[in-house]
Amino acid sequence: MYSERLFLFIIWQFDGERTVSGIYHLLKGKKTSQSIQDSYLYHLHMLYHSCEDVDRQEIWTLIRQIHANGWIRPIDANGTRFVLSTSGNEKLQQMNAQLLLPDALYMTNDLMHEGQFWLRLQLLIQTVSALNDQQSSFLPITKQSSVTEYVRHVLLSSHLNRAQLKKRLYQEMYCLLAGIPVAEANCLAAQLSGARMSGLTLKQIANETEKDLFECRILFKSALRRMMNRVSEHEQDFPIIRSLWTSSENGLSSTAHETLELLRSGLSIQEAAVHRKLAPGTIEDHLVEIVLKNQTFDLSDFMDHALEQSILDCAREANTKKLKEIKRRLHDKASYLQIRLVLAKHAGEVVVL
Amino acid sequence: MKQKKTAAVNDQWIRAKKVLQKKFGFRSFRNGQEEIIRNVLAGKDVFAMMPTGSGKSLCYQLPGYVLGGIVLIVSPLLALMDDQIHALRAIGEVHVRALNSMMHREERARVLSHLSDLRFLYISPEMLNQPYICRKLAQQNISLFVVDEAHCVSQWGHEFRPDYLHLAEIRAKLGNPSCLAVTATADHRVRQDIIELLGLREARQTIMSVDRSNIALAVRHAANDEEKMTRLVHLIKKVRLPGIIYCASREWTERLADYIRGMTGKRIAFYHGGMDTEDRRKIQGQFLNQELELLCCTSAFGMGLNKSDIRLVVHFHFPGSMNAYLQEIGRAARDGNPGLAVLYYTNEDHHYPEGFIDSNFPDDRFLQLVMNELDRGHLKVKSKEQFINDLKERGAGDTAARFIFEQIQSRLPANTYLSMTNNLRVLVRKRRSVLLQELAVMEKYLKTHECRRAFCLSTYQEQLRTKPEQCCDQCGIDLSVFGSDPETSEHKYFPVLNWKKRLAWIFDEEPQ
Repeated sequence: MYSERLFLFIIWQFDGERTVSGIYHLLKGKKTSQSIQDSYLYHLHMLYHSCEDVDRQEIWTLIRQIHANGWIRPIDANGTRFVLSTSGNEKLQQMNAQLLLPDALYMTNDLMHEGQFWLRLQLLIQTVSALNDQQSSFLPITKQSSVTEYVRHVLLSSHLNRAQLKKRLYQEMYCLLAGIPVAEANCLAAQLSGARMSGLTLKQIANETEKDLFECRILFKSALRRMMNRVSEHEQDFPIIRSLWTSSENGLSSTAHETLELLRSGLSIQEAAVHRKLAPGTIEDHLVEIVLKNQTFDLSDFMDHALEQSILDCAREANTKKLKEIKRRLHDKASYLQIRLVLAKHAGEVVVL
Repeated sequence: MKQKKTAAVNDQWIRAKKVLQKKFGFRSFRNGQEEIIRNVLAGKDVFAMMPTGSGKSLCYQLPGYVLGGIVLIVSPLLALMDDQIHALRAIGEVHVRALNSMMHREERARVLSHLSDLRFLYISPEMLNQPYICRKLAQQNISLFVVDEAHCVSQWGHEFRPDYLHLAEIRAKLGNPSCLAVTATADHRVRQDIIELLGLREARQTIMSVDRSNIALAVRHAANDEEKMTRLVHLIKKVRLPGIIYCASREWTERLADYIRGMTGKRIAFYHGGMDTEDRRKIQGQFLNQELELLCCTSAFGMGLNKSDIRLVVHFHFPGSMNAYLQEIGRAARDGNPGLAVLYYTNEDHHYPEGFIDSNFPDDRFLQLVMNELDRGHLKVKSKEQFINDLKERGAGDTAARFIFEQIQSRLPANTYLSMTNNLRVLVRKRRSVLLQELAVMEKYLKTHECRRAFCLSTYQEQLRTKPEQCCDQCGIDLSVFGSDPETSEHKYFPVLNWKKRLAWIFDEEPQ
């Protein structure tokens, strides 16, 4: 089953250094620097935020099932961290990573915006369809005000009339979906609502197509990222859909971006914290996010080159990403922040061999 | 002079009847509506109890077109507001808005700056308690002050809401417009509470029967869950749909939906509070659009639902009170055609409502722990959300957490929290015993040998005057009356999964 293979892959990458909760936060896309950082450190960033609708119970059911198959074994007393067993390893070797993770899953530039974008797109299409059908009211797919206000703005500021807008949006959608693998396109389109037709939930799609729910989630996410990527690269071809989100630099969250501006203007972490009325720890989290997403970021303001090198060497030698372990091995010569920054900067390389 | 006044009243009434036809598309009033609307138009305070589906909202919507000014409707539930606004927009009304805490700041500001253009304003009690909003409203001409779901005013009402307690005060600040309080279910005690707490003056009361004579009632005992499931599948294959199946837990809604899909091939989905909001809205949309024949759900589904052709309501588990039961089966057959309500139970099923009652209230030890922590400052009340979350982290259920939050609001600054513990314990015991009593009545209903309809009515001190032909399992029902006609059951709906076809349908274009 797809979900079993997916979980074997994730557990293999985490290699017992993160708990089942870590898997949940990764898939759900928890917006903490810890989760974002983990996703990079363990080379799982393409799966971050890939299954927004997943719940803990579902994950535990799956973990128990894989455990019962003998493919994983717990390495702590409470059974919250797992590694692959020999047979699990064999199982993993047999599978084709490309089939598991479609290439577009790696298009994570606008990852921070994809949730809002998707809701806005669905509401815009639903509204345009209802207007075309002369419906004066309908059950909107979402009532989130950040979404409804945005779509309202897009509709009101458009210079096109209703018929033109409908035609234009149809063409943009058609063109985008035609450039996407059919299974992905179907997964995305089946969720769309229109006049007198409600979108299906992912669970319903899995049921109808007799696919695994996780596979549907990944296919959909891949479709969505492919779409956003194409729209960003060919802005002039998709004016309406392009107007549904604004990209930020390096895919930073807007709050991390604000911090970056302050640091660039020469403020220290302390000063930036005072200026933004945030805890210094939060500013540090932003800094880690900035380094993760821009690995050419210069660390010399925070440590000298020798320390950076010894942290890196230590992580490689000990074959771990656990901060505490690295700090102990360096006899506390480096702070947690310094270790986090170095790991973040080199997250792209295969540190663990 | 007197003649003139009568003429004016007549005039008003002629206008009312015109509005009924032109705006709402009805030729005549339904039971109770005329009396209520006449009293409202005459400027009286009115208390009305009307069963769900009997045209409650028309009683304050219609006067909106006859009286000048704004009809202000206090409504406790966002879903209800949404739905009513939806319905008003559908008949072409553009001067209707809502004010609630879920709205975007800008949207709220937009509504507040255009108040005078409005005919209807739906508002949550929380919003109405905001001084600046109350001041803005006081500058307007409020022609009618409506309290929907008025049972929320009463401690004894099944959904007590403390924010409702200030409504009399607020009405005075708005220049004492006449008031219409409406509810679907209120026994004698709750009615008295409502009239008193809202300060209704010489209230005209219209109490309608809770009886829904076009819904036939049946109760079936089963030895175990498997038997219930087999019987349910058998029933579904025979009777007319769409239908709702109420379950006591989220797991059951999912399990049962899968089972029924496998056994009958019907288009069925599940709905419960644990799902994403967007998924819930999609499922609700599918049910409204006839894309689903059946829905397995918890009690989270149905409030404010506007669908009149539901033919079947099944209870796979029974609820904790007759009140809740009548609310839920009341969603069937609002179009006046026959509807069927079937309840299945086993001897173990009472555990569900009992467990639910337990989770409603904190136990003694927890109460003491929380009060202690509050006094020591380990636990703080910064916002409602934060506080409720903190309590949940300490192991409280949602309702229990809300209960504690409500109660500590009344603490005097000079007192410690711990000093409230005893009073709270007494209150918990009282409320618990009320709920257990209600559950006992519900269980009595299951086991009664008399007419089910007569039993339902007797819980509201009503007598059954005319027995409908299809009354209940005790009096005998002919199931063939509810049988599905082959034509409609042959018509199967398949969702469009091919993206080209779906896109073309949504955009009303030729498939390429």
